[in-house]
Amino acid sequence: MTSLPARRRPGRRIAAVIAVMGPGLIAANAGNDAGGIATYASAGAQFAYRTLFVMVIVTVALIVVQEMSARLGVYTGEGLVSLIREQFPLRWGAFATGCLVIANLGLVVSEFAGIGAALELLHVSRYLSVPLAAIVLWSLVVFGSYRYVERVFLILTLPFLAYPIAAVLGHPSWTKVATNTALPHLLGSRTFLVVVVALIGTTITPYMQLYQAAAVADRGTGVDNYRAARRDAITGSIFCNVISMTIIIATAAAIGGSGPLSSTKQAALALEPVAGSAATALFAIGLLGASALAAAVVPLSTAYAIAEAVGAERSVSRRFREAPLFLGLFTGQIVIGVIVALAPGNLIDLLINTQILNGVISPIFLTFILLLANRRSLLGSAANGPWFRVVATACVGLAATLAMTVVVITVSVWL
Amino acid sequence: MFQFFGFHLPRHVSGARASTPTRVLAGQLISVAGLIGRPVLNQSGSEIGRVRDVVVRWDESLYPAVAGLVVRVGRRASFLHASSIAGVDRDGVSLRSAQLDLRDFERRAGEITLGRDVLDHQLIDVDGVRLVRASDLYLASFAGMYRLVGVDVGFNSLARRLGPARWRALPTPSRVIDWATIQPIAKPGEPVRIGRTRQALHRLRPAELAELVEELGATQGQAFVAALDRGVAADVLEEMNVEQVDELLNEMGRERAADLLAAMAPDEAAEALREMDDDDRQEVMEQLAPEVRTGLSRLLAYEEGTAGSVMTTTMVVVTSTATVDEVIAVLIQRTDDRAEIDGVLVVDADGALVDDVSLYELLVAPRSVTVASLAGAPLPATVHEADDLENVLSIFIDSRDTSVVVTDDQRRPVGRILADDVIDALLADRRLARRAS
Repeated sequence: MTSLPARRRPGRRIAAVIAVMGPGLIAANAGNDAGGIATYASAGAQFAYRTLFVMVIVTVALIVVQEMSARLGVYTGEGLVSLIREQFPLRWGAFATGCLVIANLGLVVSEFAGIGAALELLHVSRYLSVPLAAIVLWSLVVFGSYRYVERVFLILTLPFLAYPIAAVLGHPSWTKVATNTALPHLLGSRTFLVVVVALIGTTITPYMQLYQAAAVADRGTGVDNYRAARRDAITGSIFCNVISMTIIIATAAAIGGSGPLSSTKQAALALEPVAGSAATALFAIGLLGASALAAAVVPLSTAYAIAEAVGAERSVSRRFREAPLFLGLFTGQIVIGVIVALAPGNLIDLLINTQILNGVISPIFLTFILLLANRRSLLGSAANGPWFRVVATACVGLAATLAMTVVVITVSVWL
Repeated sequence: MFQFFGFHLPRHVSGARASTPTRVLAGQLISVAGLIGRPVLNQSGSEIGRVRDVVVRWDESLYPAVAGLVVRVGRRASFLHASSIAGVDRDGVSLRSAQLDLRDFERRAGEITLGRDVLDHQLIDVDGVRLVRASDLYLASFAGMYRLVGVDVGFNSLARRLGPARWRALPTPSRVIDWATIQPIAKPGEPVRIGRTRQALHRLRPAELAELVEELGATQGQAFVAALDRGVAADVLEEMNVEQVDELLNEMGRERAADLLAAMAPDEAAEALREMDDDDRQEVMEQLAPEVRTGLSRLLAYEEGTAGSVMTTTMVVVTSTATVDEVIAVLIQRTDDRAEIDGVLVVDADGALVDDVSLYELLVAPRSVTVASLAGAPLPATVHEADDLENVLSIFIDSRDTSVVVTDDQRRPVGRILADDVIDALLADRRLARRAS
């Protein structure tokens, strides 16, 4: 006989777990993916503690942006791409969506590069591991057992929590850490600016805002619970950026000043104070988990957001003919991600370059979020107040200026 | 009510299979997306401004009539009343007179602007029971008035609007849905409120409505449920999965939530309450009418997984001395519960269960006899309120009845479990199993 279940749904237990790990934390944690680790480690290797002040500014900007996204999600109950479709002229919306797709495509590329890099550390060729991982992830999502594997990937990312310990055990110069964090400074060199843009790109990815808004909207976080959602967005942003800063500190203490990161093996050195000879394996596992997690979620949520904005069928449980746009977008992103990640060249460079691309695109998407959050006709009294508007505009403006500068410098170098 | 002929036939006509009436009609359709930005010309053919939006009256009619246009004249947004429009074609709008009475545009109650509030927004396609997004809206001249007749949800129209300006006014009706089968969605912070639900919506079953509400998410779903009649809304909530019911109830005011819970079947209401946080439950319970509160509190007191926790308290109980006539009079009072009543529970003077008399037995019995004379073998299948669901299932399997009676220690009936409650429980089990595999 079939056992009758007690009429309690399993939803509550899962909801309780997610309540602890709120959407704010999950969204901000997307910054600590393969591209993030590579970028933070490279910043630490190349400029030691010098980028810490930039990270403070970036944290403020991240909080501002994530808070706006959460607010838009709570008060409208809609995803960002949907809002953009409804609130802006169609061509603007198409432009913003195009930027989002390119940024997220960069992210997908970096995740598959991350999978390749992680398994190369464990002596598996990326020409084998990357296509295999793509097939496995695609099948898991389309055939519906992804939810369970997701938890495995989440657990695999835990080694990265070793970074704060490594940062302490690695005996960094705490006076340098303190002064570089607290005293405003920027280095004028081109390489420093490029790293700053990569840091912005990897920390404030359009994907995070997309996820933040969609998560609170889907969960039906009511206006009454807005304060809780805001607290979650803020603490999530701070927590994740503290982890990011410890990656920079740990790497700076281990190999600071040795020039740009050239291999993942080098990045793994930062974990040596914790794991000793197992540092490489530990790093590889963390990188694999973080990359695999994002490699499925990023294309999935991009495809979902676009299908929603277009008004097309969207569900992985549909057959291909029923939801061609949704499944086509999902599959297409993975295929492109794999192809680019397999192109000959250094994986670390590829990882960081995709973050620079993100840093250049991100201000465009942020501008749309800012304009939406400013709109009284959309948010009523929850629209940005005058002070918030000034701070948010300054953050977006700064990110845009830096991105433009890097584009101009890069183009002028080519010419 | 008239039906606009061309749109009545195929719901989604693919481009290749477009039927002749649709193609002929395409020539008469005015694309709202294409109209926006077009010049407004006076009688002598000179441009006085450009169309910024189309205002329609939001009333009972199946195809809302155009009330006027928002026209940008210089930097001002002015309202142009429909009566001054001589004609609308792809080159623009021509006016009846050289003189023009323009006043500043202000949205009035009962009016909505199509470009701002409907175009590119989500709508409910009632026939398809799904959410769609308007990639274009079509107007047609009908009985001397321009009316909104259809929504385009095709990709072609999106592509056309992204393309060069001269493509824009050319209707590409590839997947057009008759406006009569469209239900707009209310959105917080925006002026489009459903107000009243459209007629087409009444054709949907509660389960189909529930599916739509689940797809809408809590914020919009709540607004949607708010627009439904109380009884329908309660039926819809009964069909939804319990966590989503709680999200919706939390989103609406306590009073409204209590009102809907009272209208729901008691077992479904109790289940929804059981899943709530303690504080929320407390607050909602306080809003309930005392007798409803006592009833639900009793159900809530049953432990999960017991017969008491899944039973419904909707039942007709009569004493054995009542005549068939009297019982029928009671049943007439209970018409609202007709879907759930398949028999009458007969109890003795102490309230203990004697028999479950089916409606058929009542129907064929002489009207003057007492129900006691109808009682007899086979005795009804019963379970104790504290029995677990395994037990309930085996009793169902043995008795082959469509319902079992739940009794307390004194054998007094406290509720019934219908076969569909067991199906629900098994279904939840199967869903879990499928998710786990």
